[in-house]
Amino acid sequence: MNSKIMELNKVEVWDGNMAATQAMRQADIDVVAAYPITPSTPVVENYATFHANGYIDGEFVMVESEHAAMSGCVGAAAAGGRVATATSSQGLALMVEVLYQASGMRLPMVLNIVNRALASPLNVNGDHSDLYLTRDSGWISLCTFSPQEVYDMNLCAFKIGEHMDVRLPVIVNQDGFLSSHTAQNIYPLQDKEACDFVGEYKPLNAMLDFSRPVTHGVQTEEDWHFEHKAKQHDALMNSTKVIAEVFAEFEKLSGRKYNFVESYKMEDAEIAIVVLGTTYESAQLAVDKMREEGIKAGVVAIRVFRPFPLKEVSDMLQNVKAVACMDRSAPGGSVGALYNEISGALFNSPARPLLSNIIYGLGGRDMTIGVLCDIYRDLDAEAKAGKLNGSIQRFVGVRGPELKYYKV
Amino acid sequence: MSGNKEIKNLKAFSTAAERFEGSHVLCPGCAHSIIVREILNATNDNMVVSASTGCLEVCTAIYPHTSWDTSWIHIGFENSSTAIAGAEAMNKALRNKGRIPADEPEPKFVAFGGDGATYDIGFQWISGCFERGHNMMYVCLDNEVYANTGGQRSSSTPIGASATTSPAGSTSYGEKRNKKDMLQIMAAHGAPYVAQVAPNKWKDMAKKIQKGFDAEGPVYINAMSACTTEWKFDPADTITVSDLATDSLVFPLYEIIDGTELNITYRPKNIVAVRDYLAAQPRFKHLFTPKYEYLIDEWQKRVDAQWEYLQRREEARV
Amino acid sequence: MSKSIHDMGWDELVLGAAVHSFKEEIDYNPSQVLPENRDYAETNSKYKYVGDWRVFKPVWNTDLCIHCQFCWLYCPDTSILSREKKMIGFDYDHCKGCGICQEVCPTNPKSIIMFTEQTEEEEALNQWPEKKGSK
Repeated sequence: MNSKIMELNKVEVWDGNMAATQAMRQADIDVVAAYPITPSTPVVENYATFHANGYIDGEFVMVESEHAAMSGCVGAAAAGGRVATATSSQGLALMVEVLYQASGMRLPMVLNIVNRALASPLNVNGDHSDLYLTRDSGWISLCTFSPQEVYDMNLCAFKIGEHMDVRLPVIVNQDGFLSSHTAQNIYPLQDKEACDFVGEYKPLNAMLDFSRPVTHGVQTEEDWHFEHKAKQHDALMNSTKVIAEVFAEFEKLSGRKYNFVESYKMEDAEIAIVVLGTTYESAQLAVDKMREEGIKAGVVAIRVFRPFPLKEVSDMLQNVKAVACMDRSAPGGSVGALYNEISGALFNSPARPLLSNIIYGLGGRDMTIGVLCDIYRDLDAEAKAGKLNGSIQRFVGVRGPELKYYKV
Repeated sequence: MSGNKEIKNLKAFSTAAERFEGSHVLCPGCAHSIIVREILNATNDNMVVSASTGCLEVCTAIYPHTSWDTSWIHIGFENSSTAIAGAEAMNKALRNKGRIPADEPEPKFVAFGGDGATYDIGFQWISGCFERGHNMMYVCLDNEVYANTGGQRSSSTPIGASATTSPAGSTSYGEKRNKKDMLQIMAAHGAPYVAQVAPNKWKDMAKKIQKGFDAEGPVYINAMSACTTEWKFDPADTITVSDLATDSLVFPLYEIIDGTELNITYRPKNIVAVRDYLAAQPRFKHLFTPKYEYLIDEWQKRVDAQWEYLQRREEARV
Repeated sequence: MSKSIHDMGWDELVLGAAVHSFKEEIDYNPSQVLPENRDYAETNSKYKYVGDWRVFKPVWNTDLCIHCQFCWLYCPDTSILSREKKMIGFDYDHCKGCGICQEVCPTNPKSIIMFTEQTEEEEALNQWPEKKGSK
């Protein structure tokens, strides 16, 4: 634990960035190498301020780019200690190369991604383009829908990634501005409680352990590469066990329960949307409205994006008639990523709900409760008709002529 | 506390217990490994070493083997500097927190990169590390070409050299630009110590490496690494060609302390003509034609002017 | 004896493709302990063989050698074995036959000369050239 304690109130008012930084501070990180970028800049600024005021015993290295931030994190993690950083969008795009190296070298660390659109055109607001960019990077990827969850998932992330059965880096996603800059009531743990929960860092193959000189970042070609990528995938897939344990332990400590897939009123839902991020909270209000109209709506949100909870999400959608997968990212010439994941999840299950793909909210375009209600009404109509209304994919909330693809 | 090895003479140096093993797969006659051995053998301290993607990296860490008896890491092409800076920061953090006992001797942090990784793709990362003042040594293994990938030009490739992406042809004499002056650039960062070294002048090199290890802060070493494969000389001639490089003053050996105090550390008794240095390397063979002969004369003038400049800088002490 | 890495499946490998230099934990600094006293891991390139790269091999004439150590210094392959300030031979497992050792040898005639790989040592020593005329 850091030598200087910060006394916290039972309820604090923090935005998502402060929530992330407070959890990072409490986790007693050894090295943070970081570079600021909107909308995650305040994470770096907050951390710098904590450091400047003696609340951080570890090293804080302000590097010259996001690529260097992740490079420094990899070097530091391989040296043998706890490491974290934060970024968004273009910064993430710049550090992508090193994301693969961090996971391939099996170096636990935590990366806060404050989700933001990718240029061009340049945009600083929230969408999930950057989240999707990390899909195949071999990191565990946790999603949050509010500042409280950002705080909670950060604490869990260290514990999950550093577990000896996992040893993988972990991303904590939050929506740019909608979460990162939205102050809400937060129920934090006190420093000792939080630090004890995260636990002591256990080094493995550390470069600073000179009793066991180790070489990291080797070259493997066709004779060895496959085995190591297989091993890495296996660790990622089996991290579910540790994730479940950590979530359970966190619930015991905080009373807040987390699941691989979160849902609202899915028990008897006939139609559903599947979302990521803050849309989950708006959708709950829309669901309540729909229920007033007699439409049995529900919403499903992915908490653990990687490893993808294929079975859990499929189970949740077994009794619905129509599902809209909501992708907040330009799909780049196909259906959205979430649509693909859900289709894959359902294909080998008995259920065959109507499955459509909605592209929405790009570059921070608002998704209102009103629009969500319209989406539910359309789903309801499709469910009643027993078929999709003309196409699989459509854009919602964009000005100009209607955009629909993949006619059915 | 310095773990520098006491090196009175070559015989004493040869008692070093090597930490760089054979059966790496660098080319026969490669100067990289000579340089690496000279650096590792200059200290008794524990070492954390990083390498950028390049010849040294791919040839010494091919799974499931390593040639390193030190801690070692490779991340990418551009970031051996930042990788070692990260490790250095971790060392600091763990010592501050008491997780590494204070009485455990400080290790040395050394990053290696080729000239492609240094002059080109990793330039920003190195500059960042030097600006931040990490306690580390960055060693550029300067063979003036992307040798690992088969001889493409870098911004260290000298004018007139034929490289695969700046080939000599009927209308071209090869590389069109002069190499970047990395040493001056790194000195301008205010680094406590920067130096140009060559493995053939081993004692000069060992002294500089040890000075670098003793300096507080980031140290830059530009190590001339004659490349048998891409400079196209016989593998047995690595030291002979290196001697031509240092004795012709194409690679002058000097150091700059604290960004200002410049010392020439090697003055050849008999200065060799640049022409002789170029003639030993078929990468320059097209220059020895009436059409391009003038480039050799120009080169000699540049070397003379640079030598003059270095001597004046040395005298001026600014 | 532990299993060779070459017989391991993905599940048995060290994660992250990390490679250890020594078999077990060491309680010494390798800079203080000569290679013959170290317990190398199977994964140390020390145990690899590149001798088959050679076309020419160095042969050492002990009668002429002055143990100046230039060959040791400039060998790119850590293949000149020196102990207690004396050259003691070649590591033919690691020598690639570059010929730098012959080139940097200062004696007259040279104490190291490259011969074709097939040449027997005795045959090579019999063919050793005479001292070259005064410079």
